[in-house]
Amino acid sequence: MSIASSLTAELKVQAPVRRKPFRDLARTRLSGAVLIVVLLLLWEVSAARGWIVSDNWPRFSAVLAAAWRGLLSGELADILGSTLYRTLVGYVAGCIFGVAFGLLLGSNRYFDWTLRPLIEIQRTLPSPAIIPPLILFLGVDDTLKIFIIMLAVFPPVFVNTYGGVRGLDETLLLTARTFGLSRFDTLRKIVLPAALPAMTAGMRIALSLALIMAVIGEMISGASGVGNYLMSMQYAMRADSMYAAVICLAAAGYLLNRIFLMLERAVLHWHHSTRME
Amino acid sequence: MFSMTVLSRAALVAAFTALATAASAQTVRVNYIPITDVTPLFVAIDKGYFKDEGLTIVPTPSTGGAAGVPGLMAGAFDVMYGNVVSTMLAQEQGFKLEVISAGTKQFDTPANTNGMLARKGAGIKTGKDLEGKTVAVNTRNGIIWLFARAWIAKSGGDASKVTFKEVPFPQMPDALRGKQIDAAFMVNPFFAASVIDTDTFEFVAAPYREVQPNVEVGHYISTQEYFRKNRETMAKYIRAFRKGVQWYNANLKDPDLVRIISGFTKMQPELVAKLSLQELPEVINLGAVATTVKLMKENGLISSDIDLEAMTAPEALK
Amino acid sequence: MPELGRKGFGLLSVLGVLLLWELICRAGLVNLFLLPPPSQIAPALWKILASGSFLVPLGQTLGMLLIGYTIACVAGVVLGLLMGCSDYFYGLLEPLIEVVRPIPKPALIPAMVVFLGIGAGMKITMVALAALFPVLINTLQGVRGVDPVLLATARTLGCSRFATIRKIILPASLPMILTGMRVSLSMGLVLVILAEMLAAESGIGFLILDLQRSFQVRPMYAWIAILAAVGLVLNTLFEMVEDRAVPWRAK
Repeated sequence: MSIASSLTAELKVQAPVRRKPFRDLARTRLSGAVLIVVLLLLWEVSAARGWIVSDNWPRFSAVLAAAWRGLLSGELADILGSTLYRTLVGYVAGCIFGVAFGLLLGSNRYFDWTLRPLIEIQRTLPSPAIIPPLILFLGVDDTLKIFIIMLAVFPPVFVNTYGGVRGLDETLLLTARTFGLSRFDTLRKIVLPAALPAMTAGMRIALSLALIMAVIGEMISGASGVGNYLMSMQYAMRADSMYAAVICLAAAGYLLNRIFLMLERAVLHWHHSTRME
Repeated sequence: MFSMTVLSRAALVAAFTALATAASAQTVRVNYIPITDVTPLFVAIDKGYFKDEGLTIVPTPSTGGAAGVPGLMAGAFDVMYGNVVSTMLAQEQGFKLEVISAGTKQFDTPANTNGMLARKGAGIKTGKDLEGKTVAVNTRNGIIWLFARAWIAKSGGDASKVTFKEVPFPQMPDALRGKQIDAAFMVNPFFAASVIDTDTFEFVAAPYREVQPNVEVGHYISTQEYFRKNRETMAKYIRAFRKGVQWYNANLKDPDLVRIISGFTKMQPELVAKLSLQELPEVINLGAVATTVKLMKENGLISSDIDLEAMTAPEALK
Repeated sequence: MPELGRKGFGLLSVLGVLLLWELICRAGLVNLFLLPPPSQIAPALWKILASGSFLVPLGQTLGMLLIGYTIACVAGVVLGLLMGCSDYFYGLLEPLIEVVRPIPKPALIPAMVVFLGIGAGMKITMVALAALFPVLINTLQGVRGVDPVLLATARTLGCSRFATIRKIILPASLPMILTGMRVSLSMGLVLVILAEMLAAESGIGFLILDLQRSFQVRPMYAWIAILAAVGLVLNTLFEMVEDRAVPWRAK
């Protein structure tokens, strides 16, 4: 908040304004919450009054009712569970590969020279494009879905780990050598901690990518997961249940991100970037 | 190219999966689209016809449409419901497929279950009226696309002057309302829900029955390899499935059918009850398929001849 | 000569993978209908390139991407600055952003069709929406991370609010903004291909899916190769821009 407050402070110096309780209220996130409520009301009214006529635009209250029914019957928990399971498996696999390759290529120039062109091609190729050929090999089950999640998670984790290792202070490495640290110890005690902030930054980007790819994969085929549910609800003309699933998915995505930030803070407690906020 | 190395590794995985399938032949994995046309499959499961033959069915839905024949070739499932046009396209490209049973046929019934719709008052009555206009189909190079083109030609229009746009079925009513397309070839439940909204939409034609009465629209296929390797299982499968079709045709008004359909399509029972279910075929009429293949040739989808009899299981014909 | 070594190794490894692929196909380890060898894909690729038929779909895909991406970058930076510099905007918009951000954008397609239809507008919006958040969040973080001493100095020197933003805040947060833009670029590319696959009649994404559905595997791989090249070129271009804009960060 430092900059915002200093800017408003500057404003105050130039044009002193009398403080009003209303202004203090506007400064909190209350206004944001009000905005969301207004938008949702607009949704409700636009559907109820027939401003927007479409089978794909139910009333918001109907969506809430569908969400309530879905949560009570356990249907929504089921589909969210299978999506999150695939997301996490693919995510962890992608992170492991990303970190491993990032460390390997970042610290050994022969590996770097040999593998980097291949990785560059993989990471700049948009993953939906290779789904059609991948179906030819992996079928349409969990293998395919987890694999495409992994492919999407790999690039940001790799790039950031690689960048983190490459950006390492030369003196640190020289010092390590002077102290006679083994290669493994250098990696464990110097390289990894120094690259950790960059690595976790990559992993955070990858988290939302993983969820997106999980949904895309499930939309294509399969009997479970949010993506499949979204499609089948559309074909069953149950838009209210579809939006209910979207809302739950957003909530799950939000929670995942929060959990990640908590873990990141715990791991990086010593690093200044986590102390910023 | 990194992904390509992975691809080849993946090919090995696929090979192993194929081996595993051959070992457990009593389980048949069936891929389907969640539409009412595949109801007999779920009747046969529900009534235990497959179980009586000692078969376990694992149904997997695919809504996105990207799976289909490629998934079959990859061994992700053993049998799939598909449309005749896709099957013939794959066959021509060298994928060896076997048609194992009839699926959907457009019988001459009083009520339509699919058709071309336009906006009310747009004055679209014939294919001629559609020239310079945009028509929505679910996929290009599919059966809906083929018959939309054929109907336009038949009713005096030039299909090459019509723009075809790919729009998923659930989005067709919105696109039509939003004037982004001028007509859409819809199927149920979207057709049923839109055709009763006479303030907004107008029925134009039923391309299937007007172009080719009694056309064979969809069927069940497997790979030729799977079919030959699992001849006995397939015979059992075809028998049990046939019983499902028979029960379905005999009980079109049965409330139990509503329960079954609602179960696999996830449609609300009230919506299912509103759909006019049509009879489904027990056997395949190769003459009708040949007519469709001829139509494909005329529209430039395929160039060579296809030996229909050689790729169809004998049990499916009688 | 490390530069030569690097290029030599890189070339060798790419060729090695292609050779391995060719050999696997020749040895009959895979179904050739599913994975044809590079020697069969190359003629298909050449046919597409030589006939110039790649220009229209490529133009369509890139056009959509660029429009959506530009909108996202401008909106992301502006909103990020507003939110970073004003508590009011922060309070107003932060909750909404937190609600919308975690939604996987493909899930919003049905709703978008209701409002925007199935045309280019919908696809551009999809791209813009997906690319917006990384830019916005990074701008916000960049602005928040500006050294308070700098701001205090600016105040002492009597800089106007606008001048402070232009001369201090923006340059200081530029590296963060560019990082966000780089993430957005790949996000945008993913979404444009996906949008073309889900509802379109043109563009590279549509072509790849269409070729797969009509079982024309060779041209399908050729198009994937073209797309890979596009991704590579875009990424390289971006890195060049980044090196110029933040020379102090370039290695």
